Amino acid sequence: MSRFLKTICSAVTVSLCAAGVCAEPAAKGLAGYKAVVAPYFEQHCVRCHGQDKSKGGITVHSLNGDLSLGQELDKWESILDMLEFGEMPPIKEPQPKKAETQAVIDWIESGMRDYVKKASQELPEPKTRRLTNVEYQNTLNELLGFELDVMSDLSEDPELHYGFNNTAEYMRMGPEQLDRYLEIARKAMRAAIVDAEKPEPYKKRQEWKRIGLDRGMALDEFGLWGNRRGSVAGGMSLQDYPEHGEYRLRIQASGIIPPGFTEVPLKIDMGTDPGPTETPYKTVGELYLTNTPDEPKVYEFRGRIENHPSSLVRQGRPPNAKLVERIAIKPRIFYDNGTLNDGGNYAKVRQLANPRVVINWMEIEVPVMDAWPPKHHTDILFESPLREADEAAYIRQVIERFMSRAYRRPATRAEIDKFAKIFGIIRPAVESFEYAVRETLAMVMISPQFLYHTESDPATDSQFALASKLSYFLWASMPDAELLDLAAKGKLNDDATIKQQVVRMLADDRANGFIEDFTLQWMSIRKMLTVPINTDLYPRFLYLVSAGETRGTEVPYRVTVRDYMMQETVGFIGELIKQNKSALNIIDSDFAYLNERLAIHYGIEGVKGMKMRPVPIKPEDNLGGLLTHGSVLIGNGTGTAPHPIYRAVWLREAILGDHVAAPPSEVPALEETAGDSTEGALSIAQLLEKHRTVESCNDCHFRLDPWGIPFEDYNAIGKYQPKVPKDGTRVSGFDDRKHKDLAGYQTYLESINTVDVDAKARVPHGPEVDGMRELKAYLLKERKDDIVENVIRRLLSYGVGRELTYRDRFVVDELAEKAAGNDYKMRDIIVSICLSEVFREETQAKQAKKD
Amino acid sequence: MARKSWQLSRRDMIKGVGVAMALPYLNAMSGGASVASAAAGSAAKAMPKRFIGTYISYGVYQPDGPGGLPKKKADGTYEHHEWSWWPQAELGELKSFNKSTKPFEQLKDNVTYLRGLDHKGGYKLGGHSSGDVFLTGADMAEIETTNNISIDQVMANHYGNETRHSSLVMGTEGGTGSYLRTKTMSHRGPGKAIPSMHKPDEIFNRLFNPYGDKGIDQVRAGLKRDASILDLMMDHSKSFHTRLGVEDKRKMDEYLESVREIEKRVERTNDWTHTPLPEVDKDSVNLTVDHKAGPGEYIRCLYDLAYLAFITDQTRYVTYMTESEQSSSSELWNYANYVLGYKGATHDIAHKRPQVISGQWDLWRAENHAYFLKRLADTQEGDGTMLDNTLCLWGSAHPHASHSGLNYPLQIAGGKNMGWKHGSMHEFVGDKKVPMANLFVSMLHSMNIPMDKFADSTGNLDQLLRA
Repeated sequence: MSRFLKTICSAVTVSLCAAGVCAEPAAKGLAGYKAVVAPYFEQHCVRCHGQDKSKGGITVHSLNGDLSLGQELDKWESILDMLEFGEMPPIKEPQPKKAETQAVIDWIESGMRDYVKKASQELPEPKTRRLTNVEYQNTLNELLGFELDVMSDLSEDPELHYGFNNTAEYMRMGPEQLDRYLEIARKAMRAAIVDAEKPEPYKKRQEWKRIGLDRGMALDEFGLWGNRRGSVAGGMSLQDYPEHGEYRLRIQASGIIPPGFTEVPLKIDMGTDPGPTETPYKTVGELYLTNTPDEPKVYEFRGRIENHPSSLVRQGRPPNAKLVERIAIKPRIFYDNGTLNDGGNYAKVRQLANPRVVINWMEIEVPVMDAWPPKHHTDILFESPLREADEAAYIRQVIERFMSRAYRRPATRAEIDKFAKIFGIIRPAVESFEYAVRETLAMVMISPQFLYHTESDPATDSQFALASKLSYFLWASMPDAELLDLAAKGKLNDDATIKQQVVRMLADDRANGFIEDFTLQWMSIRKMLTVPINTDLYPRFLYLVSAGETRGTEVPYRVTVRDYMMQETVGFIGELIKQNKSALNIIDSDFAYLNERLAIHYGIEGVKGMKMRPVPIKPEDNLGGLLTHGSVLIGNGTGTAPHPIYRAVWLREAILGDHVAAPPSEVPALEETAGDSTEGALSIAQLLEKHRTVESCNDCHFRLDPWGIPFEDYNAIGKYQPKVPKDGTRVSGFDDRKHKDLAGYQTYLESINTVDVDAKARVPHGPEVDGMRELKAYLLKERKDDIVENVIRRLLSYGVGRELTYRDRFVVDELAEKAAGNDYKMRDIIVSICLSEVFREETQAKQAKKD
Repeated sequence: MARKSWQLSRRDMIKGVGVAMALPYLNAMSGGASVASAAAGSAAKAMPKRFIGTYISYGVYQPDGPGGLPKKKADGTYEHHEWSWWPQAELGELKSFNKSTKPFEQLKDNVTYLRGLDHKGGYKLGGHSSGDVFLTGADMAEIETTNNISIDQVMANHYGNETRHSSLVMGTEGGTGSYLRTKTMSHRGPGKAIPSMHKPDEIFNRLFNPYGDKGIDQVRAGLKRDASILDLMMDHSKSFHTRLGVEDKRKMDEYLESVREIEKRVERTNDWTHTPLPEVDKDSVNLTVDHKAGPGEYIRCLYDLAYLAFITDQTRYVTYMTESEQSSSSELWNYANYVLGYKGATHDIAHKRPQVISGQWDLWRAENHAYFLKRLADTQEGDGTMLDNTLCLWGSAHPHASHSGLNYPLQIAGGKNMGWKHGSMHEFVGDKKVPMANLFVSMLHSMNIPMDKFADSTGNLDQLLRA
């Protein structure tokens, strides 16, 4: 039961006291401790959590009974949670009277509340944390005014499961890190500020003729698997092109759209040549072509050439050969309905029945010379008569302008002085003015004011601090002009404005940065990408080429259903936020976020096209909510079989907000677990039994496993699968000689999947639930408040950039109460977090200081 | 198929690719080492004392007894499984090498197996995390939750100034990771994890092409400028010192120390510009990573870079985390699949311990490590080989059962010139049990570092050294 509801319940309990059913409420402070709490501990707890034993690392005998000292309050909080949940004392032990427990709960809660009130005025939470890699990348793009990929130049940020790495604890700094920042800053400035001399743009154009139709397809068209030698499928390659600069790629394209299709999805990749396996490339853009070859259209893409990986090739013949950069532009159709990878001759027949693309020509120009110098250059080195007349004065203005954006608040005079001095050191030593400016501004980008979160900067006032807090929360990036402008006018820190800004920001595309970063970390989704899918059992799940089916290799440029699953989860949460839907949709919803490929995977009919979007669903689709997302089910499986323990941990951590401790060392691993291999897999019942026979396992698994069993309706690749083979049946993998094709394999599977899956479990302190549908119903009925409270905690923790402590407990209660009164609407929850004291805390403190 | 990693034919060598410099400690060409020119008189120089610590995760296959220790039978002999990680059942002289240790047979006189050592400080870290303390021995659960200095950095602090790079920190996943999820073996001190480098190309450039296409005068001028600018930056950054809490102050100190450290490095880099860089032909190393097609190539490529760093004396202390305990978001998670076709994550091997696969996985890891040891052994240096001047520690912080942090599987190799005796298996259990840190103390002794205490050490293991 949630904490705030508990408070309401305690009021009920108190009123019952009149009828003589309850114990006296405990006195505040030490007196209450001695009279009520200590005896309770003595009677019910110390045997397992005392001098002799300290199960779960908790001991109660040594706790200080004076909460006003603020000692070990985190421990007190976990005791409080245990008592509130009714998890302790364990069911097998003698149970205290409800009223006795309530008295202890009330005593802890009130003591804690008093302390928190006092402490929040004296001890602010630590604030100083550097930007995460995601925040750094987004900030850099925003600051420069173009996208420059630097993620791969940065040392990896730590990854946590279910937590957020944007906290001070994880965002550490060391010389290696700072060194990287300096390298990147120099690279960024090299790209942002161009040389004085106007370059000659590199241009290349290639055309493909509409010939060869007699042999099936013309040279200017291609299908799903590429096409004839010399056709447009091979794309265009560039050699010896400029290393930096914005490019403009134009193509004239159209689609051949067979009956039953409405569009042809086309993406353009640019990078090194596709090898058989890993190919470094970056997508230029995607198109959904609806125009036919009778009405070809010209499409334009822009990007930075340095973001695309290139390879070195030898140009010319020895001895005059030289090494030059080479890059290839490849068009690819990404239509996929899950039945395409048949290989061989079959593919050729199917090729013509599937959508095709016609590209008449491609042309590229780099750098783009629409304006020279480009805007990102003149944004920094702006036109001014001062430049000629008084270089020293001009450079001060340049520094001030740039720094006031980089620092996300106006630069101070002292700061400008310091960097003007740095410019003064550099300028005489280098050949060009531009070079000196690059070096100087690169230094701005390694100063703490840029690298660390703005609210910890003593030179930032409350308005600017708030602008940054909002933007790093909702955009994972720096504030835009509107936020900075409001801050400069002193108009941001006000309820109505904050509300209006949050709504604006969440509607902006930049909010996708936050939604993705937040969702993937919260739900611990990324691990699904490395789960080794058993291609014998699931031959069509990945897209394997060359040998086809199970023996082929996966090609990275082929978007597969697995990639769409990540987008499904991120898009689903995005939908809840942007449409202001109830947070309870996480458990069940009347829509799913799908495209054609995913819909086919889940068995939903009538979804056409590769664009991801909300799609209405029916209960019999066995979808709805997040629990049945492929990303979740695969990420918490073995790739061969479901894994009830992984799924149980996921549910408790990501959805219910519990912390599940890792298995302690010295607990022997079970020799075998379910889903060990195609053959010889233990059934779930056997697995559980095995766990419970070992006492050290049973302690935790008793509370854990039941949460994972109801997921058994869904297989290792996230498909609803209510029937399974009889115990001991050997499932053979796909074999084209035996099963001929996928349909044949499906028939075989259906012939052996004869037994109803066992998905029944009694949830701890709850009823028995059978399968996902009943689990969802139970969660919505009984655990609603825990679920919403968890959403709030995750959002708040991400928003304030630290882990929540006992001190945030009461704020969370308030937010939860508010959400409950407002249909748990997601966007409104975010608004109230941004309005909350704890989010604005630092801001308020600064305000107070100023006043 | 990808090109073999650093592998030079005699022809290549004659053409002068590969390493082209006066190799500091090389006497004559031998074996597979390919060297353009050897420095006359280098033998007169004192031989270097090098160290490499290499980590494998998720423990190893040891079905012969509980807790990573073979069970003693009634007749006093030990249980021994043909796929056991330990080469033989009995203690004492190494006489036989079983299936997964075969690759070390050829190095029999250069390896030692140690049973029963571990770090107490890792006991409470949970079943997937004692790798954090493998080279530090810090008391992670109780006192030093920030971890502490690793043994390679102690060495680097003493003699790191003698080479261009004081140490080289590598790992297959890169970065620092975080508490309980380390991605590096090396720590400068409490809270100062050194991010491991995992991109071959980047490591190569740091080692052999640090100046890019700049001329040396240009580099020096740049460094000089950097030094004066960093000084001003330091000043500028102090204004950021926040008045908030202790924790915030500590964060800022972290930053300021980083600036100071970079200043020092600028100075050091500048000093080293007077020493010519070794010329190593980039084409001679396969620096492209292809996890699926060539997982072994990648693992060995980083070993090769360690070898190149050693042979050119760019550094003498290397750590290499070939696998981390928390690789579920990395391709390493699938290596057992790519290498052996195992239908599961690499980590599952530790839990399920399928017999043959577990053994084959250990064998594959042994092959990679033996490949490196063999390279060192085949390269003559002074009167002996590079291996004699390089102490190699290899092992995991988990035994058979992946949830245990007791009795690490450990092998040491090389370092004969530093006094290490080889060719046996030792056991430290029961009343003979000592902390693994005792081994570290002896390592320091063998490198002329007069320290008698490291982490929770209670003495040393100098009995492994020649008297």
